[in-house]
Amino acid sequence: MASVNWRYSNWLPIIAVALYVTVPVLCSIYYAVFPGGRFSLAAYSVITDDASLAAAATRTLLIAGLTIVTLVATLVPAVLAVHLWAPRLRPVLEILCTLPLVVPPIALAAGVVALLRWGAQQGRGSLASEISQFIQHPDLPLILVGTYVVLCLPFTFRSIDAGLRTIPLKAMVEGSSSLGSSVWGTVWRVVIPNIRGPVLFSVFFATAVCLGEFAIAATLNRETIPVWLFTVSNTNFRASIAIAVLLNLSTWILLLVATLSAGRFSALGKAKRKAAALDEATTLEKEAH
Amino acid sequence: MSVPVTPTPGSAPGAPPGAAAPGGGAPGVSPGARPRLVSRARWEGVTTALRSPAVIALAPLTLIIAVFFLVPIFGMFTIAFAVQTDDGGTGIGLDNFLDLSSHSRAMRNSVLVSVVGSLIAAIAGAITAFCIAQIKSERLDSVVAVFSSVLANDGGAPLAFSFIVTLGNTGIIFGLLGLEAIGFTLYSWQGLVAMYQYFLIPTMIMVTLPTFVGLRKEWIEANISLGGSRLTFWWRVGIPIATPALLGGWILLFGSAFATYASAAVLIGSGGFPLIPLSIDSLLGSGLGAGGQSTAMALGVTMVVIAVVVLFFFNRLQRRSARWLQ
Repeated sequence: MASVNWRYSNWLPIIAVALYVTVPVLCSIYYAVFPGGRFSLAAYSVITDDASLAAAATRTLLIAGLTIVTLVATLVPAVLAVHLWAPRLRPVLEILCTLPLVVPPIALAAGVVALLRWGAQQGRGSLASEISQFIQHPDLPLILVGTYVVLCLPFTFRSIDAGLRTIPLKAMVEGSSSLGSSVWGTVWRVVIPNIRGPVLFSVFFATAVCLGEFAIAATLNRETIPVWLFTVSNTNFRASIAIAVLLNLSTWILLLVATLSAGRFSALGKAKRKAAALDEATTLEKEAH
Repeated sequence: MSVPVTPTPGSAPGAPPGAAAPGGGAPGVSPGARPRLVSRARWEGVTTALRSPAVIALAPLTLIIAVFFLVPIFGMFTIAFAVQTDDGGTGIGLDNFLDLSSHSRAMRNSVLVSVVGSLIAAIAGAITAFCIAQIKSERLDSVVAVFSSVLANDGGAPLAFSFIVTLGNTGIIFGLLGLEAIGFTLYSWQGLVAMYQYFLIPTMIMVTLPTFVGLRKEWIEANISLGGSRLTFWWRVGIPIATPALLGGWILLFGSAFATYASAAVLIGSGGFPLIPLSIDSLLGSGLGAGGQSTAMALGVTMVVIAVVVLFFFNRLQRRSARWLQ
């Protein structure tokens, strides 16, 4: 009896942590859809009623799309290059990509503000001030795209780097080029499909970062969804809770899919599943005999 | 990579693509001619190198990192260390860091919240990870690994909103548990500590679970066959092996709590309860007072330094614990 109790007591801290994690979300959902104890989706009418939310959502999704494209289009070739042609530069690239980890977003925001102000001070019409204006454009703040790519780098670099290390990259590229394919044709048709997992991880992780980032967008006064939440919470608190729940759940789902896809499509996972399938097949065969 | 290759006279200059490194132009010296600063061969070597796939592939990312990361950080450091000299010029000095004494309250708050929050989360997370490892279910381990990594990355504005609804002054759980009676209020260091647990505990579980799972069965068996008890196992084997991971996890949590901005900004706003990240924001927002901006940059540099120290020790401790866990 005592040993049974001991075994179940292992679950207590796990259940406590699980409760701690779920209760705030459940409370938010309750607050959002049970105003005054009766079920109502009135709080979500802000989606159709408030044009500023639609604008913020469009802006955020546009930033997310551009961030994903830029991230994948620049990171994958760079990691490929250090694996294929310049192995001595790999540590340099690794350090460069990991460095953003030591700079808290608010500190990066401070640096970006300093840079943009310096650009603006160069006088009207000067190239620096034009560029500063252009990348801060309220509808499409490219400065956020660039900084979000940087924020994603530490995690996505590691994922893609590990993905390329598990496949026989050199043999693939040599084989493909001896069959007459160009370098970029090889990359597109052979290499990318083999690192689908890490690339998908990068896509979902970057989306989650773009949907959740607050420090830089708020400091630069660009209204993305999280900043909109903060602004609107002063006037319509229930609506901001309602949207925060949606945002939180979608971030969870994105990160979940990111983590799963990193494991699921990885060469290692594939090999493991294949081995398991083989095991099963052989035991079945044995049983049949 | 960039071993200088001296081309034999008469041969075509320029290395084959793939052998050419960025900036590794071959110094071409044609016989008889005086070497010029930029000889034709060197120029062609450089252009060949620039056309090599390695350079083409690395250039865009390097450009992005430079423009959106290195230059802003460099600018931040420059402003933070720039001081007005007596003759009106600018020099390098620590004056901006001396201004930080006026932010000692924010510094104290930040350290207090981070130390208390990370300590509680480290203990709670380690106990939870230990229990998860004790259950010895591979499926549970992988589910926990996925969920803890998801939650460790959580913690933006929505988190603060959900805590306001849950534990705020009119919060659902706040009323249910009668937290008012014990003097708890969300809009203080207690609230910040409680809110930070939401992503700190999963981070701790994520960092320490592999260690607890990795404590090998053979070690427990060896301990028993040598006549040791459960207690001797933990005292002599388990705890010494787990200590670096636990310590590293705690340091990482401290850094993570110290750098948290979004949820604290939504919960506390400006004023009320100053923290270093909030002070940076309000100094930047205060506009054109040049003094304010350089103090903000000095605070930013301080945060970077703290993060560097944290990650340095975390890495060292992780490596030490990894030695035992393959």
